[in-house]
Amino acid sequence: MTEKQKKSEKAFAPEVDERELHKLERTWEEPRGIMGFLMTTNHKTIAKRYIVTAFIFFLLGGMEAALMRLQLSRPGNNLLNPDLYNEIFSTHGTTMMFLFAVPIMEGIGLYFVPLMVGTRNVAFPRMNAFGYFIYLIGGLFLYTGFFLNVGPDAGWFAYVPLSGPEYSPGKRVDIWGQMITFTEIAALVGAVEIITTVFKQRVPGMSLNRIPLFVWTQVVTSFMIIFAMPAVMLASQMLPADRLISTHFFNPAEGGDALLWQHLFWFFGHPEVYIIFIPALGFISSIIATFTRRAVFGYTAMVLSLIATGFIGFGLWVHHMFATPLPQLGQSFFTGASMMISIPSGVQVFCWIATLWSGKIHMKTPLIFVLGFFAIFTIGGLSGVMLASVPLDLQVHDTYFVVAHFHYVLIGGAVFPLFGAIYYWFPKWTGKMLGERAGRWHFWLFFIGFNLTFFPMHWLGLKGMPRRVYTYLPEMGWSYGNLAASIGAGVMALAVLVFLVNVLKSLRVGEVAGDNPWGAETLEWSVSSPPPVYNFFYLPTVNGRNPLWSQMEETPVVVGLSTECREVLVTNILDAEPEHRYELPGPSIWPFLLALAVGETFTVGIFTPWGFPVGAALSTLALFGWFWSKPKSEGVRALEKPKTRSLDEARLSEEGA
Amino acid sequence: MREKTRRKGRVDAGKNRRGDAATRGRGEEERSYLVLSPRPRVPVSPRPFLICVIASVLLLSCTRERREFRQAPPGARTETLSQSDLHPGGYIPAVQTKNPAEENAPALSEGKRLYEWYNCSGCHSHGGGGIGPALMDNKWIYGSDPANVYETIVEGRPNGMPSFRGKIPDYQVWEIAGYVRSLSGLVRRDVAPVRDDHMRATEAPAETTPEHPKGTGVPKSAERPQ
Repeated sequence: MTEKQKKSEKAFAPEVDERELHKLERTWEEPRGIMGFLMTTNHKTIAKRYIVTAFIFFLLGGMEAALMRLQLSRPGNNLLNPDLYNEIFSTHGTTMMFLFAVPIMEGIGLYFVPLMVGTRNVAFPRMNAFGYFIYLIGGLFLYTGFFLNVGPDAGWFAYVPLSGPEYSPGKRVDIWGQMITFTEIAALVGAVEIITTVFKQRVPGMSLNRIPLFVWTQVVTSFMIIFAMPAVMLASQMLPADRLISTHFFNPAEGGDALLWQHLFWFFGHPEVYIIFIPALGFISSIIATFTRRAVFGYTAMVLSLIATGFIGFGLWVHHMFATPLPQLGQSFFTGASMMISIPSGVQVFCWIATLWSGKIHMKTPLIFVLGFFAIFTIGGLSGVMLASVPLDLQVHDTYFVVAHFHYVLIGGAVFPLFGAIYYWFPKWTGKMLGERAGRWHFWLFFIGFNLTFFPMHWLGLKGMPRRVYTYLPEMGWSYGNLAASIGAGVMALAVLVFLVNVLKSLRVGEVAGDNPWGAETLEWSVSSPPPVYNFFYLPTVNGRNPLWSQMEETPVVVGLSTECREVLVTNILDAEPEHRYELPGPSIWPFLLALAVGETFTVGIFTPWGFPVGAALSTLALFGWFWSKPKSEGVRALEKPKTRSLDEARLSEEGA
Repeated sequence: MREKTRRKGRVDAGKNRRGDAATRGRGEEERSYLVLSPRPRVPVSPRPFLICVIASVLLLSCTRERREFRQAPPGARTETLSQSDLHPGGYIPAVQTKNPAEENAPALSEGKRLYEWYNCSGCHSHGGGGIGPALMDNKWIYGSDPANVYETIVEGRPNGMPSFRGKIPDYQVWEIAGYVRSLSGLVRRDVAPVRDDHMRATEAPAETTPEHPKGTGVPKSAERPQ
């Protein structure tokens, strides 16, 4: 291990010209101060903002969950009135799905994809900054509304007619709809960046069949975002249009269709589950490879399963609508598809088990969280197969059984791997290790608390407790299950507290991590922790799927990229052959201003239609400013190929597998 | 010099992750500090500013969306305009001319529903008028103030408007009154209800316009009092 590491160190630390390094640092330097904060285009800074912001929303959503559990801990409780309870559960679901899960997964992707494919920044770095500000504006908009008693109260999927103009007066649902628009814009922007970065900016040698599994998950997720999000953005504009300017998209009496909402929403909503879950699969693959000291078994099968999941994920949405009067044949089709999706997931789980089986296991906190994922996700998957059948689904539709199921798959499938990923990559982000002992406390408290909270909900659901009720009668016999769930929620809150203390303590007095504390294989571990602003002084080349483990003394690096402008290497899609050098734009205030203009459009637009023309004018101005400021030198230098030392050799050397 | 330590640091990190890495990490931080930021960093964080903005927003309360769950019992009546200046005992009742429901979107939405349920639409249609006068124009026979509308509903008016005293709980009268005023745009736009999920109340298409009997016109008895 150490030997391998030494080799990689040598391979990635050829002679560094002092003056060139200085120039490179100057070139990529981030601007300072408040203006600098608003102008930066560094993918690592922006990704960290995504992660921290999303985690704050996670804590807010968690507090709302705790309030709900407190309210339900005993029958006939008066802590929250029904209206506030509606707002809290809607905001909880909305926060967790739109403001926490998707952005944090994308944030981690935006941080590591450029590092893993070996480039200096994402493609379209200014758009990246724009995406973050749009997301932040959306989140602040929702919570400003929530604290002013204008939080959404029609559930996180806001079915019409309940969320329509007749039954949801006021601005609550409008705020919800526009928040969706904001977060979907941000997600789309991030997806475009990730796809472009992965397809065009990989280091030489990283052909498609050598891309790390983590990067594959991000690519599949990004494609899913691009196909799923437009549906919900359309819906989230049609609903406020119905509510604000009396269109009739969802009014059956005037030729609209109430079920149209459900179709549009779940055509996005079900892929959304996979948009959250697939990046988590990437975390798991990274963690398992590192802590078993071997490459993940069945790379091709894994990648194909990911892509299959991405496709089948779009053929399931109707299983959220089994209680609506859809044709039987259609329902059977979606039952079949829902059961089919467990095949690619199963393939991946078996590949991981094979990896664990044949590897040398280092039982560290990240791996423990991944093992927790196996246990919980399997239970969630089993109740998922149950729910995929129409008759059972009809019985337990909108009961706590469903609540139990999706918390098992979402917390088990995404939050456990996410915590594992945070323990795994925290050293890379901050240069400090997270406490191992506290990590174990965190895991066990979270694991036990989670099961104590959500397992009784299966039973409550079968006993007939409907979801979204603010209280219940003592005669219903649901008291003990609810009390157990509430106690479990307290234990989970304690676990998150342990985690927060661990993070804060490690940031101050944590053990200093080296470049590669876990001895991992992917390229992000070849640079210092935290990585320098330019990522790599020399872009590396790779000769296999596990670059740092197969790195040789003579592995070439890319030279010839300018140190005086923000240049990146553009390579072709299949084989990552160098094509040309491209200059990325630097810091700019215009993305922030454009985000403000778009923010004005959608926030003011729900109070007065003047918001739209004014916003359009402001956006146009901001776009003019954005495109006016060109990079100093020419964008593309196609003629002059970058020089790579013994690149041909690298291309020829076949990987072992 | 710098280059040497850098490379040395890398080898150290490879050899011993625990011990040497610690010293190395700190050293590197200092170095990069020297290189990256020759001028001192201004410790201005946008966070306090952000917190101030959020806090000041939170100080404003919002009653537009409040849902009321416990209302006054039916039978109670608000003193609004009195029909006469004469009062026994010199007692002058408090006069309420502001409609509490008009600032509240759920209340107005409720008013809209009650407008159907108490069959206001039977005479006034969906605001366009029929047996009773239109409510969506700017003509008000008995005044457009909230209190006037309230009195019209509770006390009734000559020529057809019945009295709903004791039949509609007081808070619901206010909700209906608010909705009636919203029909002619007298209520804030962001509070007034929008469309409902039924057929849109529009004028009949041209080809089905009812034709009056020739020569007679509108009978005198069907004209509205002005």
